Amino acid sequence: MKKLLLPFLLMSILILTLSGCWNQKELTDLAFVTAMGIDKGKDKKFNVSFQIVNPGNIPSGQNGGGQGLPIAVYKSSGDTLTEASRNATKKVSRRLYYAHTNLVAISKEVAREEILNVIDALDRDPEFRTTTQMVITRNTTAEELVSSLTILDKLPVNKITKELKATQTMLGENMSVSIDDFINGLVSNGKEPIINGYKISGKKSMAKKAENLQMTTTGAFLEADGLAVFKKGKLTGWIDHERARGVVWILNKVKSTDINVSWNGKKNAIVFATIRSKTKVSVHFKNGKPVINIAIKDEGWISEANTAVDLTNPNKIEKIDKQVEKEIKRQILASVRTAKKKKSDIFGFGEKVHRANPKLWKKIQGNWNEQFAELEVNVKVDSFIRREGIRTKPFWSNLNK
Amino acid sequence: VSILSKMLKKKQKSRQNDDLRQQQDPQKPEDLQILRVYKENISRLKAELGNSSDITVREFKISNHKGVLVYMDGLADSKGISDFLLESFFETEVVPPQMDYFQFMIDKVVALGSIQTITNWNQVYDNLLSGNTIIFLDGYNKAISGATQGWEKRAITEPSTQLTIRGPKDSFTETLRTNTALIRRRIKSPNLWLETMKIGTVSQTDIGIMYIKGIANEKIIAEIKERLKRINMDSILDSGYIEQLIEDQTWTTFPTTYHSERPDVVSSHLLEGRIAIIVDGTPFVITAPAIFIQFFQASDDYYLRFDISTSIRILRILAFFIAFLAPATYIAATTFHQEMIPTTMAIAIAAQREYVPFPAFVEALIMEVTFEILREAGLRLPRAVGQAVSIVGALVIGQAAVEAGFVSPVMVIVVSSTAIANFSTPVFDMAIAARLIRFVMMGLAAILGFYGMMLGLMFMTIHLCSLRSFGIPYMMPLAPFNLHNQQDVFIRFPIWAMKNRPSFISKGNIVRTGENQKPDPLIQEDDQPKGEQS
Repeated sequence: MKKLLLPFLLMSILILTLSGCWNQKELTDLAFVTAMGIDKGKDKKFNVSFQIVNPGNIPSGQNGGGQGLPIAVYKSSGDTLTEASRNATKKVSRRLYYAHTNLVAISKEVAREEILNVIDALDRDPEFRTTTQMVITRNTTAEELVSSLTILDKLPVNKITKELKATQTMLGENMSVSIDDFINGLVSNGKEPIINGYKISGKKSMAKKAENLQMTTTGAFLEADGLAVFKKGKLTGWIDHERARGVVWILNKVKSTDINVSWNGKKNAIVFATIRSKTKVSVHFKNGKPVINIAIKDEGWISEANTAVDLTNPNKIEKIDKQVEKEIKRQILASVRTAKKKKSDIFGFGEKVHRANPKLWKKIQGNWNEQFAELEVNVKVDSFIRREGIRTKPFWSNLNK
Repeated sequence: VSILSKMLKKKQKSRQNDDLRQQQDPQKPEDLQILRVYKENISRLKAELGNSSDITVREFKISNHKGVLVYMDGLADSKGISDFLLESFFETEVVPPQMDYFQFMIDKVVALGSIQTITNWNQVYDNLLSGNTIIFLDGYNKAISGATQGWEKRAITEPSTQLTIRGPKDSFTETLRTNTALIRRRIKSPNLWLETMKIGTVSQTDIGIMYIKGIANEKIIAEIKERLKRINMDSILDSGYIEQLIEDQTWTTFPTTYHSERPDVVSSHLLEGRIAIIVDGTPFVITAPAIFIQFFQASDDYYLRFDISTSIRILRILAFFIAFLAPATYIAATTFHQEMIPTTMAIAIAAQREYVPFPAFVEALIMEVTFEILREAGLRLPRAVGQAVSIVGALVIGQAAVEAGFVSPVMVIVVSSTAIANFSTPVFDMAIAARLIRFVMMGLAAILGFYGMMLGLMFMTIHLCSLRSFGIPYMMPLAPFNLHNQQDVFIRFPIWAMKNRPSFISKGNIVRTGENQKPDPLIQEDDQPKGEQS
């Protein structure tokens, strides 16, 4: 009997000492905060809006969901995030639960001035995930963004997070940036963080109304828009479209995208769709100055050929290859130029220099941003057309016969 | 627990007292001799058996010698008695004067295969009540007992509790002799030994201990016999009595002996060096020692090919874990660790639980208890009503409970998957253990979440490792780990690779498969010898 009792007693004692997460909380007592919007406040520093799921209205299985809206947005304000979050309990009947927060939207104004005062709260809270994605609202407030309804995804937050991932892989103009990524960029010596931009297109007032969802072309919709560039923890500017793609490309996050090249003087005649791509950034030193070499190896297929071109001819294919390489190189150099202009090393070139030559880095890190602006960057693209789709000769070849 | 054990000790003491009393009883039939006057024997017999109406007495006379034949109607084969005893009595007209009458009867008249001379009353009752015919002869203080057993017995049918897709379809019956024959038909070896004893002071139940000499461990045989001899009880009505009286540990939900109604399973256990205990009156034969993993080995595991049986066995072990952890996991995840559930699923579950009035634990408890009641009811109900129960059950557990907002649909999935997983354990004893542990786990999950479940699992593992079955560690060959005996644990090796018997059970004759048993098609394809192999 003693034998049995001893381990049992030991375990009972252990229970007392190891009661880390004993706090029981029923699902029905929780308010799932799926997205959080942070705006600049009037009296207090921040106006925080919490997008809370209304589980009863989420269609699940047979019961098809209730009549109301799937989300509700509560606002509160405070000088710190914690204060705002605690103030919100005055308005919400349930305990705010952050473990399923998938998005933090930060308004342009906050990003310009106060973003550093927000991050630690998100990083420290055990409930909050550091994989939560961040976006900067561009032409709208964060509150409006998190209050918007979307048509395809019942949970608006899913629309944003999924969409960012989709554009990252399908287009390469945006990338999913988590709190973790952002902090890494912030603290890293020789790298500056970027965050996705997001905007509401159309009539902003429509975004939060249910009738917006009754139309096939919604009056207002959410849209990813550009990359926000930071410098020393403050928003300094934006990079858009092709140039944003160049950034994503240098960061080796592009999986698939499209490149248009001209053929025989016809613009956008051939479309090259990459299917895989790999970017290598290396440093070498010339006259004691770092030179960055970007080597891109990509593969793809011809998704459109809007001109008479014989795709069975290897020489022609090679020529297209060269064109594509040139185009990619152009785009990448363009985004490097833009970043240089903003004097913000979003590509992490400084990190590379640091690794290649720590001694030199110690000397130049003080004014790296200036150095960066005059950095010599070489781009070498090695493109390869893997296949031509299911047609070899486009119909254009037979058109004139 | 300590109070209970104290009570048990007290009981044991009083049992010993009963023992003494019984031994002092002067009326013990062993001391009484058979009387010379045969009529007195009959009247004594009738008086002792309370003039029971099933005693059949037939007097006869061969020349001048009187005698009487007694048997129990229903236990003895009356056709055999009239064919081989009465008819030969009537045909015999003269007893040669130079011969002793008693010896003459044995030598010439009683035409039965097995006869026995008995002298005291204890033997009379024993033989009579097990279906033998007793012949008292006038003037002799001894009697002849002839084996005329023959009663209505159930035919050998398909097993009803341990079904297989492939494999023999016979099962044990309630008759000890039939059962031993079923085993002997499978193992035709002179080394298959059968020892019998009678247990039960009132019921006098026949118990057979079967093992293969040279394969079974002598120590374990001695231990089992010792434990069986210690049993002092009025009756043994099922092998379950024996099981509970000889097992190593009462305070456990895990079975430490195995039982089966399949002769092929028992035979395979005998061949692995285990010992079978066959109890008259029940089709369930106990085999011991038993180890944990054995309860996940079904007999088709060995009849199907190894890849299939390995995957099915792993599935069964997985199902066992589901059976006792699924509701606890649901409770822990929904009340403590909501962050572990994927967002969409968490919201879907939250949506379903929105209108459920109870906490997850209570909800799970209601459903689990309802299901257990339904299962128990379904087991007991007459077959004709059984269908009604399943309909009501499907409605109560499924549709209605959900529609009434009583439980959430997820809970129904959890409960039903638990139930189905539970049924996939091949041996009922182990399945029922999982059922009990499930409730403990649910309680722990409700109090402490996954931490509590881990505590429970730890305690369970420690407990499992501390169990013994007739001296063999229960978790053998996993703990203590034994590399050479892994051929039949999680992975069932190809049959030709299972070269040895489990060495922790069997002693002595370990090798079971010869060398070069791996099938090699080349030998058959070209008849030319390929030269030295291996």
